[in-house]
Amino acid sequence: MAVKIIAFGQIAEITGKEFVVGVNDVTALKSVLNEKFPALAEKKYAIAVNKKMVTDNIALNENDTVALMPPYSGG
Amino acid sequence: MENHNSRYARHYSLKHFGYKGQQKLANAKVLVIGAGGLGCPVLQYLAAAGIGTIGLADDDIVSLSNLQRQVLYNTKDIGKAKATVATLKLQQLNPDITVNSFKMIVNSANALALIADYDVVIDCTDNFAARYLINDACVLLNKPLVFGAVFQYEGQVAVFNIADENSRKTNYRNLFATPPDPLEVADCNEAGVLGVLPGIIGLMQATEAIKLITGIGAGLVNKLMTFSILSYDSYIIDIAADDSVHGYVPKDEDAFKNTDYNWLCGMSSGGIEDLQPLIFLEKINLPDTVVIDVREAHELPKVDFKNLNIPLSALSENISEIGAHNIILFCQSGKRSLKAGQLLLEKFGQTKNISHLKGGIIALHETINEQTR
Repeated sequence: MAVKIIAFGQIAEITGKEFVVGVNDVTALKSVLNEKFPALAEKKYAIAVNKKMVTDNIALNENDTVALMPPYSGG
Repeated sequence: MENHNSRYARHYSLKHFGYKGQQKLANAKVLVIGAGGLGCPVLQYLAAAGIGTIGLADDDIVSLSNLQRQVLYNTKDIGKAKATVATLKLQQLNPDITVNSFKMIVNSANALALIADYDVVIDCTDNFAARYLINDACVLLNKPLVFGAVFQYEGQVAVFNIADENSRKTNYRNLFATPPDPLEVADCNEAGVLGVLPGIIGLMQATEAIKLITGIGAGLVNKLMTFSILSYDSYIIDIAADDSVHGYVPKDEDAFKNTDYNWLCGMSSGGIEDLQPLIFLEKINLPDTVVIDVREAHELPKVDFKNLNIPLSALSENISEIGAHNIILFCQSGKRSLKAGQLLLEKFGQTKNISHLKGGIIALHETINEQTR
C-alpha cells in the first residue's frame, strides 16, 4: 500500500516533510522508518492515521495519510 | 438590570456573545502559568476581554533576548520580575479586573493549592517538567487545561480534561505518555523561534479559553492542532482516549506531591553544581581545573577562554582524557552540559568536583551584555 507520510517539527528534520512509503500496517511502517532513519528510533512522536491518533497497530490502506507528531515544549 | 460598561461595547453587540457572554467572562477565574512568549499575548488579551480574575505565575526575570517576542515588557524592564511587571501592565490595561500575581516556580508542592482556585488553566510554560506537572495537577483536580507549545515555525494547541459528547476526556499523557529525553528536544533558547509565533499560538490559547468559558464555537477538545506560520496550514487530529495512560498520572494528591518532575524530565542536577555565569568566569581560572565544551565542534559561538572540546556524543569514549579534579562543563543552553555531568558523575562518583554553566553560553553572553550596557 502506498501511504503518504507527513512529518512535523524535529521529526521532519530527520525524514523530510512529506514522502511515500509502501507498507500494510502501522507496525510495518515503524520498522521501515527506523531502518531508513536510525535517528528516529529514540525519538518520541504520536502517530495519526487520517487525522485520528492511533496507539495500537492498525491496517493501512492505499492513499492513507499518516502524520508523525513530536512533542513541542517551547513557550 | 444590565450594567453596561462601554469598555466591552464590541462584545455586547457581537451576535451569539452579547451581555451574557461578557458576564461569563467577568465571572471566570483563569490561571496563566508562564508569562513569557505564550503568556504575554494570553494575559494581554484575557485582561482586555474582561476575564474577572486572572492569576499569573512566573518566577523569571525579564532579559534582553525575551523582548523579541515577550511584548508585555520593554527595554527598561530588563532585570525586573516578569510577574511584577506583567501585573502592573495588566492592571493599567484593565483596572476593572482582579490580577493575582504569583512570583514563584509552580512545583509539585504548591501546584494543587494554586490551581484549585481557578476554573481554567492555561499552560504557557517552556519546558517538559512544567508541562507534565501542570497536566497531572489538572487531571487530579479535573480542571480544564488549555495547552500551547511552539517549535521554530510551528505551534501546537489542545484543550484537555473536558468531556466530549461521548464523555471521553483526554490529557497530555494521551498524546505523549512520558516525557522525552531532554537531549531529544531543543527549547526556544537552542532551536530559536520566530518572535511572532508564540504571539499567534498564545492568541489561539486565549481564544480557546474564551470559547470554553462562553460556550461559543467548537473548541479543540480531545484534539491537537498543529499550526505552521510558514504555510498557514493547520493540521487537527483526534487524540486517542486510551485509559492505559492513566497509570502515568500520580494516583492521588499525596503521590503527586512526592513526584519530582525535574528528575522525571532529566532536569535534576543532583550532585552537579550549577554555576551562574559570573561564578563560572571566576571558577574556570582555578588550578587543577578543566573546562569542557560538550557542544559539537561546529557549533557557534566560539569562546575566548581555554577549554577542551569533547562533544557530549563522544564523551563516554573520551572520559580517560579528563585528569583534573575540578570539571566544569558548558554547552549552548545548559542542558547538554547537565547531561554530560550526569555521565561523569556515574563514572567518577564523588571523587571529582563536577559543575556546569547554568543556562549555557546563551546565559553567559546575556550576563556579559547586561554588564557592559
